[in-house]
Amino acid sequence: MLRYMINRLLLMLPTLFGVAVLVFVLLRLAPGDPVQMMLEGANVSQQVVEAERARLGLDRPLYVQFTKWFGALLNGDFGVSIWTGRPVLYEIGIRLELSLQVAIMAALLAVMIAVPLGTLSAVFKDTWVDHLVRVISIAGLAVPSFWLGMIIILFLLTYFSWIPPLTFTPFFEDPWKNLSQLIWPAVAVGYRYSAVAMRMMRSSVLEVLQEDYVRTARAKGVHERLVVARHAMRNALLPVVTVVGLEFAFLIGGLVVTEQVFNLNGIGKLFVQAVARGDYTMIQGLVLLVAVFFVMINFAIDLLYAFLDPRIRYR
Amino acid sequence: MTTAAQKSRAVLFIIHHSSFRIDVITTVSTATSPSITYKVPRRRHPLLQFVVQQPLGAAGLAVIVIMAVCAVFAPWVAPYDPLTVDYAMMLAAPSWEHWLGTDSFGRDVLSRIIYGARTALAVGFLASFIGSTVGAIIGVVSAYFGGRIDLFIQRVLDVLLSFPIIVLAITVVAVLGKNLVLGVDINLVIAIGLPMMPKVARVVRASALAIRELPYIDAARTAGFSDARIIFRHMAPNVVAPYLIMVTAFVAQAILAEASLSFLGLGVTEPTASWGLMLSGAAADFYQQAPWMIVFPGIAISMAVFAFNLFGDSLRDWLDPKIKL
Repeated sequence: MLRYMINRLLLMLPTLFGVAVLVFVLLRLAPGDPVQMMLEGANVSQQVVEAERARLGLDRPLYVQFTKWFGALLNGDFGVSIWTGRPVLYEIGIRLELSLQVAIMAALLAVMIAVPLGTLSAVFKDTWVDHLVRVISIAGLAVPSFWLGMIIILFLLTYFSWIPPLTFTPFFEDPWKNLSQLIWPAVAVGYRYSAVAMRMMRSSVLEVLQEDYVRTARAKGVHERLVVARHAMRNALLPVVTVVGLEFAFLIGGLVVTEQVFNLNGIGKLFVQAVARGDYTMIQGLVLLVAVFFVMINFAIDLLYAFLDPRIRYR
Repeated sequence: MTTAAQKSRAVLFIIHHSSFRIDVITTVSTATSPSITYKVPRRRHPLLQFVVQQPLGAAGLAVIVIMAVCAVFAPWVAPYDPLTVDYAMMLAAPSWEHWLGTDSFGRDVLSRIIYGARTALAVGFLASFIGSTVGAIIGVVSAYFGGRIDLFIQRVLDVLLSFPIIVLAITVVAVLGKNLVLGVDINLVIAIGLPMMPKVARVVRASALAIRELPYIDAARTAGFSDARIIFRHMAPNVVAPYLIMVTAFVAQAILAEASLSFLGLGVTEPTASWGLMLSGAAADFYQQAPWMIVFPGIAISMAVFAFNLFGDSLRDWLDPKIKL
């Protein structure tokens, strides 16, 4: 097990290095020049632009820039945002709480909806319950979360004259205010999320219900409810865990757009701003962090697998 | 010497033997109700077969066809020009004149949705087609060669897979900028297609790995065919099922991605009609007074994605239920 973990961790390194190289090269290929963009309209001489480029190290050869950036990265230094001049990690740090909270809330919502509904759908396969759940889940995959967010705001605005607050209230400052602010973006993102998990739960329960041990349990005279709750659901959760985990890593993608709608100053908004401003270091830092996050979650899912299903042994 | 009896027994045996297979098929119907004659299944047209076996998928296909027709014949279907600004009719509510109302420039929402179908379908199809095709080729090549090449390709795919679709698409859009070819932003297509490529490559590789071990590939190799010929003539045709399934599934994703990017102002730009674009900009400021401005484009996106998902799911069930996306 330990060997397997070390192996997996070592395999992550080339992947992450690849991500770093890819993002770095991609951005340098971009036609826009961040310094030009930043000083646009400021009517400065070419000399000032050149000086600024030199200050940021953008006039050096690509490989020099890369080694410098990557070397610092290995020391945990993500560099300084070209646009704001503050450290990338600081900019991300002040926004991380918000995005992470929305993501976690969305994940909890998704699981709370998906597990019972997916099970119901499988148990009552081909009845109206099943059809209803399937329509809900297919619709969830089709509705864009940012549009759902807009509709939610429209609804709240019309009936409760609620407008998305301009500033973020941390959870520990005022939990109620915080939750009332973040529950709606979580719903908007979580609906799609739950749809994915619901489909997985349904097909997984259907599969498990065909297993021998379920038949054995039934033959023993175990009550059907217990068969479903103890034997079917528990075993069916395994693939659902994967989906929920993977989707959690991708949730940041859903947040990129939804945060705009709810006027939330989170990671997603930071990313869009960074792209619009050509803030190289910020984009690099964000993309790399997302990739690290994603790879770690993948790793965690594999370990969780072994924990949930003792039949799985890694070597 | 063979007697007549022996002969007839032999014949009987043959008849019995050959009728055995038919027996298996017909026993049930003849045993229960001998009067009913057994119907030989007619070979129906595949499209008809699909419609009968997958009614939901057929419904999805119908919606797709209607959308495609609207998109192609937009100038004749749309009641107004999607770009005509009419300040006298700003933010008009849905009426007989403007079925779905007008936006903050007085442009007809229905017409913009119909023209938006052009953008959505063109970008959706192209992105999915390009991404899936490149992915499928990479997948087959990776499986065919195996060894180091396979390992290297897999690591590269790992890198691409560790980006969320939208994050990768946004980065690529930012890098490539705009490049209009025949009215379609080809760089947007690439940006949306690129994140799909590794996923298709993974699935196709898995199918191709199984094919590689089959005798006819060995036979082709023994016959001295070139690698390219074996890959394209012998392996590729056999991974068409997962390929087709992924193309349709990814059209839906591509439409969503286009809408998201345009909404963020990174995709299609004004004045071109795009569903995502209709939800951004002025819509955000006016949608309390004019909810139709955002409600209908959103429904259009949802319906398109819904239709493609429905069709894609049914196609999978029909072609190969084992494939997992």
